Amino acid sequence: MPIKNRFAEMHADITAWRRDIHQHPEILFDTHRTSSLVADKLRAFGCDDVVEEVGRTGVVGVIKGRADGSGKVIGLRADMDALPIQEATGVDYASKTDGAMHACGHDGHTAMLLGAAQYLSETRNFDGTVVVIFQPAEEGGGGGREMCDDGMMDRWGIQEVYGMHNWPGRPVGEFAIRTGPFFAATDLLEIEFEGVGGHAAKPHETIDTTLMAAHAVTMLQSIVSRNVDPIDRIVVSITSFETSSKAFNVIPQKVQIMGTVRTMSTEARDLAEKRVTEICEGVASTFGGTARVQYKRNYPVMVNHDEQTAFAADVARSVSGQCDEAPLVMGGEDFAFMLEERPGAYILVGNGDTAMVHHPEYNFNDEAIPAGCSWWAEIVEQRLSIAS
Amino acid sequence: MPIKNRLADTHAEITNWRHHLHAHPELDFDVHETAGFVVERLREFGVDDITTGIGKTGVVAVIKGRTDTRGRVVGLRADMDALPINEATGLDYASKHPGKMHACGHDGHTSILLGAAQYLAETRNFDGTVVLAFQPAEEGGGGGREMVNDGLIDRWGIQEVYGLHNMPGLPTGSFAIRPGALLASADEFEVTVTGKGGHAAAPHQSIDPNVAAAHVILGLQSITSRNVDPLASAVVSVCALHSDIDTHNIIPQVTRMTGTVRALDPDVRDFVEARVKEIATATAQAHQCEARVNYTVGYPVTVNHADHTEYAAAAARAVAGDVTTDFPPIMAAEDFSFMLNACPGAYIMLGNGDGPMVHRPEYQFNDDAIPAGASWFVELVEQRMPAQ
Repeated sequence: MPIKNRFAEMHADITAWRRDIHQHPEILFDTHRTSSLVADKLRAFGCDDVVEEVGRTGVVGVIKGRADGSGKVIGLRADMDALPIQEATGVDYASKTDGAMHACGHDGHTAMLLGAAQYLSETRNFDGTVVVIFQPAEEGGGGGREMCDDGMMDRWGIQEVYGMHNWPGRPVGEFAIRTGPFFAATDLLEIEFEGVGGHAAKPHETIDTTLMAAHAVTMLQSIVSRNVDPIDRIVVSITSFETSSKAFNVIPQKVQIMGTVRTMSTEARDLAEKRVTEICEGVASTFGGTARVQYKRNYPVMVNHDEQTAFAADVARSVSGQCDEAPLVMGGEDFAFMLEERPGAYILVGNGDTAMVHHPEYNFNDEAIPAGCSWWAEIVEQRLSIAS
Repeated sequence: MPIKNRLADTHAEITNWRHHLHAHPELDFDVHETAGFVVERLREFGVDDITTGIGKTGVVAVIKGRTDTRGRVVGLRADMDALPINEATGLDYASKHPGKMHACGHDGHTSILLGAAQYLAETRNFDGTVVLAFQPAEEGGGGGREMVNDGLIDRWGIQEVYGLHNMPGLPTGSFAIRPGALLASADEFEVTVTGKGGHAAAPHQSIDPNVAAAHVILGLQSITSRNVDPLASAVVSVCALHSDIDTHNIIPQVTRMTGTVRALDPDVRDFVEARVKEIATATAQAHQCEARVNYTVGYPVTVNHADHTEYAAAAARAVAGDVTTDFPPIMAAEDFSFMLNACPGAYIMLGNGDGPMVHRPEYQFNDDAIPAGASWFVELVEQRMPAQ
């Protein structure tokens, strides 16, 4: 069974929704227009219940099947937020907001799940309940965490959850998935070094914080090169280095460095946190200064569950005739929080040969819509199949 | 089918061979007594042909099956050499040669293959030819390479080749394997940094090669922390650093460092080699020194062929029931890799039970693993060349 016919008919509508959302990108939790658009559409489709402001600006919709003998409840999740990037696609429906852009395809994810919600509301050809989840702030804000913390899983009795992300470089509409750890844990570093500032002509009267921080950056390399098992996966990147003064003749009092740590295992994550702290405090102490280390654990490793992954792959094969094994991704994904609370799976759908996500020339590929929507609908109809 | 009954019968005899070899360890290519012992046993078994001096001190033997209707030839390999370690096991059959010890279990590997040879020569319950390869100098000397260069694969027409290694920490007699890269490549590098020697009290009149070398070591950390794909695996370790001066008041003229590079992918290996050279050369130059890099390519990546991994796992399953087929790769190296580069085949890990790691002075090969190991070799032969 390939693409569902109904989605071929709805393709133009869903594309129009996607482009509307694309023109009005909203960052993090400020997805007010998008959330309203989603809630209005869900109500218009005749969803049984629509609840806004879950996880601040998230939206939850409930669609009951024709039967409910199974008592099963499945959650389907899409993300709604955009990125602080200046769009450079040149498309006629480009962002109308300066410095904001749907550069990760969440416009496409939201439109596809809306399309699936319309179809499921029309047909209700399943035995059980579907909960559609539209979350804000996937891009670093932890909107998924907020929705979970708001009690979403218990409140709607969700038993398993599924998610999807478009993937540039894969043929349009082709799927890929892997079981177990899939996306990396994403932690944030913020370290403030303090020495004794002073005149640049008299370094001996100062404690040079720039030198201290430079040594720390060099030494942080040894976490990957010396400490973590080479078979394990880890990235430690220092992304920002800022002195408290900008003059050419002042040794600064403070230096702040920022960065990220990506890991695929609890062992590597724990080790990285310990070593970052030891290295920065140790180096500062060596020079007679201090370091204030903030290691913020953000998104956990996103782990696909075996059974749901096998099912999601079977469904993908029924839609597109294939489902590849996806490689590990060092990026983070806050669907991880939902997968920590409930079993489920996250799948990639090909976006064709486009620019990579987070690039100013990236654009979601509307040709992927029928495959994505069909996968959602099939997840429901196969998992909650009506006994014949 | 579990352990072969006949190998339960010969277990005590094989154990005696193992203890004899253990008491008389020999290093590198100097395995004359061991090779002599192997030849004596093979003669007693009545194998069809024995050739010595292949790869300097290696031994090759041929056992013909009851029939040979399809011209099939399977190679089985064991290593014979010991390590320059002072034994500290306290066993009554401990090494009689101070400073030499079978601390990697090659005594066990050789005995296991002898046990399998005895069985195969007695029963000949297969259709084709078995070629046994007993190699010297696995521990760094490249005995496997020497045997391949001496025509091992072509001269005896070996069509597929198999080897095993004991693995402390895995349950005794269990098996673990993976397709693709199982063990790393191992290269050596030496960086000679030349500056300008002088009085340690007047550093400004010298060019200090020690400081330059220290910066080279720091720079080399960035290869794995910044350059290599975090999803790939590589190790760069600087292991020794020595200047041409051992006093406290002279800045040396020359400082040398030596180290090793490990990788699980030939492209990553080439890339790391290039970066080692670039970093050493440019960093030394930045310190007004000159670096000469001597990079020696050693053992290649041990890559199990996919089909033959399946054959090896099938034979292991017949012996032990369950087999781990996704054993994680190890950054150590193995010169069976030369045989696998010349001929399809697979390398499997045989559980040695709990106990000290290989290369430790307390390490002990576990004689209880012998029946499983020998049964695996026999089973492989009988499955790959079933009797007509």
